[in-house]
This record gives sequence, C-alpha cells and structure tokens, in this order.
Amino acid sequence: MHKTYRLGRVDVPVLKGATLHVKPGEWVAILGPSGSGKSTLLHLLGDLDQPDADGGEVRFDGRSLASMSRRARNLYRNRSVGFVFQFYHLLPELNVLENTFLPALVGLHRWEYYRRIGQLRQQSTRLLESFGLGHRLKHRPRELSGGERQRVAIARALMNNPKVLLADEPTGNLDEATGAEILDLIAQQHRDGLTIVMVTHDPAIAKLADRVVHLHDGRIAE
Amino acid sequence: MYHALLTNRYLTSRVIPLIAVAAVALCVALVIIVVSVMTGFLNMVRDSGRTLMGDVVIGYPVTGIPHYERLIERIEELPEAEAATPVVDSWGLLKMPYPDGANKDTETVQMWGIDPESFARVTGYADTLYWRPPTEQQLKTMADDDPRRQMDEQILLDGLALRDSRSDRAGIVPGIHVSIGNDRQSDGSIRPARNGYWWMPQWEVTLTTLPIATGGGMLEPESRIFPVVNEFFSGVFLIDDKRAMVPLEIAQRMLHLDQGEIVDEEQLDDDGLPKVIGVDPAKATMVLIRAAEGVNPDELREQLVGVYDAFRAELLQDNNALVKPPPQGMGLSIKTWEQQQADFIEPIEKERELMRTLFSLVYLVCAGLVLAIFWAIVYEKTRDIGILRSIGASRFGISWIFLRYGLVIGIAGALVGVGLAYLVVRNINTIHTAMGDPPMWLAIIMLTLALVAIALTVYHGRRGALMPITLGLLVSITLIGAGAVILVLKDRGGVVIWDPSVYYFTTIPNEMDSGTAIFTMIGAVIFSLIGAFLPAAKAADTDPVRALHYE
Repeated sequence: MHKTYRLGRVDVPVLKGATLHVKPGEWVAILGPSGSGKSTLLHLLGDLDQPDADGGEVRFDGRSLASMSRRARNLYRNRSVGFVFQFYHLLPELNVLENTFLPALVGLHRWEYYRRIGQLRQQSTRLLESFGLGHRLKHRPRELSGGERQRVAIARALMNNPKVLLADEPTGNLDEATGAEILDLIAQQHRDGLTIVMVTHDPAIAKLADRVVHLHDGRIAE
Repeated sequence: MYHALLTNRYLTSRVIPLIAVAAVALCVALVIIVVSVMTGFLNMVRDSGRTLMGDVVIGYPVTGIPHYERLIERIEELPEAEAATPVVDSWGLLKMPYPDGANKDTETVQMWGIDPESFARVTGYADTLYWRPPTEQQLKTMADDDPRRQMDEQILLDGLALRDSRSDRAGIVPGIHVSIGNDRQSDGSIRPARNGYWWMPQWEVTLTTLPIATGGGMLEPESRIFPVVNEFFSGVFLIDDKRAMVPLEIAQRMLHLDQGEIVDEEQLDDDGLPKVIGVDPAKATMVLIRAAEGVNPDELREQLVGVYDAFRAELLQDNNALVKPPPQGMGLSIKTWEQQQADFIEPIEKERELMRTLFSLVYLVCAGLVLAIFWAIVYEKTRDIGILRSIGASRFGISWIFLRYGLVIGIAGALVGVGLAYLVVRNINTIHTAMGDPPMWLAIIMLTLALVAIALTVYHGRRGALMPITLGLLVSITLIGAGAVILVLKDRGGVVIWDPSVYYFTTIPNEMDSGTAIFTMIGAVIFSLIGAFLPAAKAADTDPVRALHYE
C-alpha cells in the first residue's frame, strides 16, 4: 500500500509499497522507529483511513474494503476489528460500563435496543469483571489509573467479539509493570484465538508476537 | 441508540447547553409576550366595539335618518338581529363644576343621545356604569375607603334611566375620565379627588351644542344644565375620556333633530301664519344593531342593506311622508363595528404583524446561539468523534448526535419559554404595578443579597482567582443596581409605565395568544435545528485519524 499525506504544499509519502499478510489467529507485531508509518498502516487496516488512489488495497477475508459500501465499512469497524490506542481514547462523559458497551450500542438498531440492552449490560459487566474492573463500573475514566483505562479500552475493543484486534502502542503510555499486565491481557486474548496486529517501537514487546515485521522507510521487511 | 446516551450526557455534564436553553426560552417568551399583548389589545378593541356600539351601525351624520322608528321596527323583524337602538351624536362643550371660583373648566365631549332601555339591550351599557353597590365578590377585594361601599341601588337605576330621581330631571352620564377629578388608583379603581369632594354625581354640568341647519349652516348654540347621575367606565380610554350620554329626545331637541312641522310660507292659514303642510319627523344620526346569538356581523350587515333599501322604497312611495330617508352611499353608511373603526383597527393589525415579523428575527438569534455553542462543542468533542468513528459510527450517526442535541435544546427552550411567557402574560398587570411601584421588601432583599454576594466574593476571591471575583462583582453590582432603582422609584412615588391615555385601555391585556405560542415554539425548534446543522455537518466530515490526534 501507498499512503501520502499532504502537509501544506508538500506531499509527504509515508507508506511506499508496504505489503502485509496476516493469517487468522496470528499475532503480528509491527516494529519501527517513530514516524516510520506504523500507525498509518494500522489506520488503513482498520479503515480509519484509505490508501492513495491506485495505492493498493486492504483485503479482509478476501474482500477488498474499497469495494464495500459505506454501511458495510461501518459494520467492519464495528464488528470485525477492535481498536486499542496508546492514549486509551475513552469518552470522558460516559462511565466505565457505558464506554465498554458503546460499540454494541453503535451497532444496535433502534428496535433491538430495548430487547437487548439488558443483555449487553450483563455481557460488558462480565467482560469488565474478567479484567478485574468489576468495582469500577460506574466510575468515569478520569477516576481511573492509566492501566485501568487501558483495560477498559481493551474491553471496549472486544465487546463485539471482533476477529482482529488492532493495537497502537497499547503500553506506550504506561509504566513497565502496568504495561506487562496489559500485554498479559492481550496475550490471553491471543491464546483464545484472537488475531492481533500490534504496533510498537519496543523490540522487547514485539518479541511476544508470533511474527515481527519491521517497517522501515515506508516498506515492510520481515 | 448511542445518540440518546451521548446527547443526554453532553447536555447534562456542562453549563453551556443550559445557557442555550435559557437563551432560546427568553427569545420564545419575548415573541409570545409581545404578540399576545398586541393580540389581546386588538381583541379588547373588538370586544369593546360590541360593548359600546353593537355589531352593525347605520349612520347618517349631522342631519340624521328620518322615520328611524320604522327602520328599527323592520330591523327587529329580522331573525338575524337581536335589537336595535337610535342614537344622536354630536360634539359639544361640557362646563364642569370645577375648579372652585367663577371660572370653570370646559371639556370637549362627544354627546350621545340615547334611549337608555333599548341602548342597554344593544350594547353593554348597563355593565359599564361605574357607581353602583358592590357585589359580594367585589367587597372581598375592594379597599376599605372605596366610595362604592357607600352606594345604593338608586344611583345605578338613575344611570340606567338617565334621570335624576331626586330632582326628577333628565341626567347626564359622562365617561369616567371626562372629569379630571377622577383619579385612577393602582388597583384600577377610581377615587374622586379631594376626598370625594369632586365626586361627579353630586354636581351639575352644562352641555352646549351647536345645531346645524338642514342646509348646512350653523344655528344658535343650545345649552342645558344636567345633573350628573352616574359615570360609565368602558375600559377604552378614548371613549371614557370623551363621551357623555344624555336622553335621546333631549339630544334631538338640542340639535334640532326632534319632530317639527313643515310649513309652506307661500300659503297662510286661518290665523295668518304660514300653513302647516306636514310633519318633519325626529331623526337619529345612528341606528346601532346587535346581532342575534351566533350571527356573524357581516352576515347581519348584508341583511340590513336589503332592509334599508326596502324601508326607503316604502317611504318614497308614502305621500304622507314629506321627508325621505337618504339613499345608501350618499353619506349614509351601513357598516360593521370593525368596518366603522377600520381606520383604528387596521393600523393596529399591521403594527401587530410588523412586531411579529421584527420580533421573529430573534429566531435568528436562536439559530446563531445554537450554532456558536455547537461549533464550540464540536471542536471540544473532536476526539470523541474520532473514537466513535473508530468503533463503527456512521457519518450520519455522528451528525445526528448534534442535530438531536439541537432538537432537545430547541424543544426544552420552547417549553420553558412558553411557560415563562404564560406566567408573565397572566400576571402582566401585577408585574406592571410592581414595576411602577415596587414593594420596599424587594429592595431590602436585593440589598441583603448584595451584601451576601460581596461577602462570598471576598471569601472565594482571597486566593486571587479572577473568576469568583468577576462573577461575585457582577452579581453584587446587579443586585445593588436593582435595589437602588427600587429605592429611587419608591422615593418618586412610583411611575406609570402603561399610560392609559396612550394605550387606550386602562389595563394591559393578559390573555396568551395560543396560536402565536404554538408557531413560536415550532419556529424556535426549527431554528435551533438550523443552528445545529452546520456544526453537525462539520462533525460528520471530521477526519477520524486527525480527530484521534486532536489535542
């Protein structure tokens, strides 16, 4: 894939023909220095951004995202992939429970809401409890520690049982011990069969993955 | 369904939306109050028209309509007409009993000669007579020193009959504001000046009129002394300030519109005087007609046009009737009250529409406020937009959060606004009185609160933060200012904001115009939505990657 950003009048190529194939159930770590295009690649995989015109394509289960309708792509982001960001990106006005079941709400039709809201609350409560956050359900994100926030973010990413977890430096904002806890949590999901694509600049963290790919000057090197 | 959750949280977790709701509510209340008062004013004009003049007026000024009794008979045969009454009207001069001394004041009045019995059936005359014994209900709220507490039934009967029962003479009933001795109190009641000394029904007045000859020339002025038997209070200042009622036959005599003889000066009778060849019948310058229950005045008017033509045709063929009624159109008019007063009512209607249009511009304020507030909120929520997009929210879904937000603010603002308008309109006379003459306790409360605010400002501002100091100073200054205004008003004995001589009516209309209320509410909601459209579109267009990196 190719991806070029325009900064003012200058075109800045970020990805220059990066190719990546991820198998189901695989944990792939994308390693590279800051500014190498790791996050951009992850955004393209998660359909938050699109490759340049004639700049390649993202295929999921053999189907090109570019060929999908807008609705199908919204569903892809909602059901097929789950994002975990370095800065957690929780909604400050919602409590922990609401932040967690938000993806389920987004994917819910109006007429399903009243029928399923109770079940969704239970499901997200169970998920949070399994992450050790059962006592934090009604708390706002600002009342949580960094590790707790990231666990809520992972719970949110897993709420709709996605096939792929896209994690962008998930421990980048945490101390070493807390980071290790989060990585354990991710590893556990991998053992349960989840496909993971994780971006990191830390080789030690990358080693936990099944496969490490290096992103250098916009290209992938195994 | 995440829209509802987010809209709810965005609304309740900050102050800005509450300010937006308050602003929309004030805009809505402003439009409803202004238009309701104007509409109420128009309705009062229309209602008072019926009270004062009936539904339709057949008028032929100055020389009058001859054989009007026959016309009234024909009219009363119509099922559409409830009753009809003759009136003679002209301008006159009324010499008042005041001041003390030889030189008395003179007021210009519109003299109405009426037949009290039939006049009361056509108009609401009986209800407008002011001096009468109070009802049980009135006694509960009436001031202890109100002179009406001393009234007996006779003064009402005298007013209704236009006759002074003590001297058995024809009496006059002027409007309550003809005499400058009648002071209007803040509760709307009337007190004659100098502790009741200038209570008109104990005085006599002299009415002078200038009769006009059939040919158009002015005749000798006619004067007559009348005892004042009562005063009427219709609520329309313009009328209460100018009109005076006298018995019909006396007015006819004073204006030379009474029955006379027609003589042929070429022929002499047995006594050598010009020979009487016929009767010049009495005339009325107006016939007022009240429509039967449920009959539209316009409908009645159509019928009356036919009745008048038949009446005229009948008299044209009557060889005994030497004086014929005038044809329609030649100075004789048949008009509904509204047509008669079109010069007065139409400008008010136009003013109301102008006000409605001008004040509707506040909708733009609604839209502008919502736009500004939402624009700021969209900026503040940029990262949330990125997060929502990353978990699968559609562009439409994102924009709907903000549109829904605008809708809620519009609806909440409209509901609060209509409630506020209702409270203000219903209590507008009390508020008006309180504003003109505010109670002392209000000043004390304001100034006490100001002291509390100053104390709180000092307490919270001791660490040097500017926000509590600024806020505290603003509140303190506002409270001190309000308290000072009240003290100044008290010192001056209050002010009259709604001057009845300017606004025609002695009270402010206090009925809410429900049609305007509904349209204003709908307008506020629509314009709040319009204000939310642009920020919503901006939110939908936000690039999720940039949004996620937005600081």
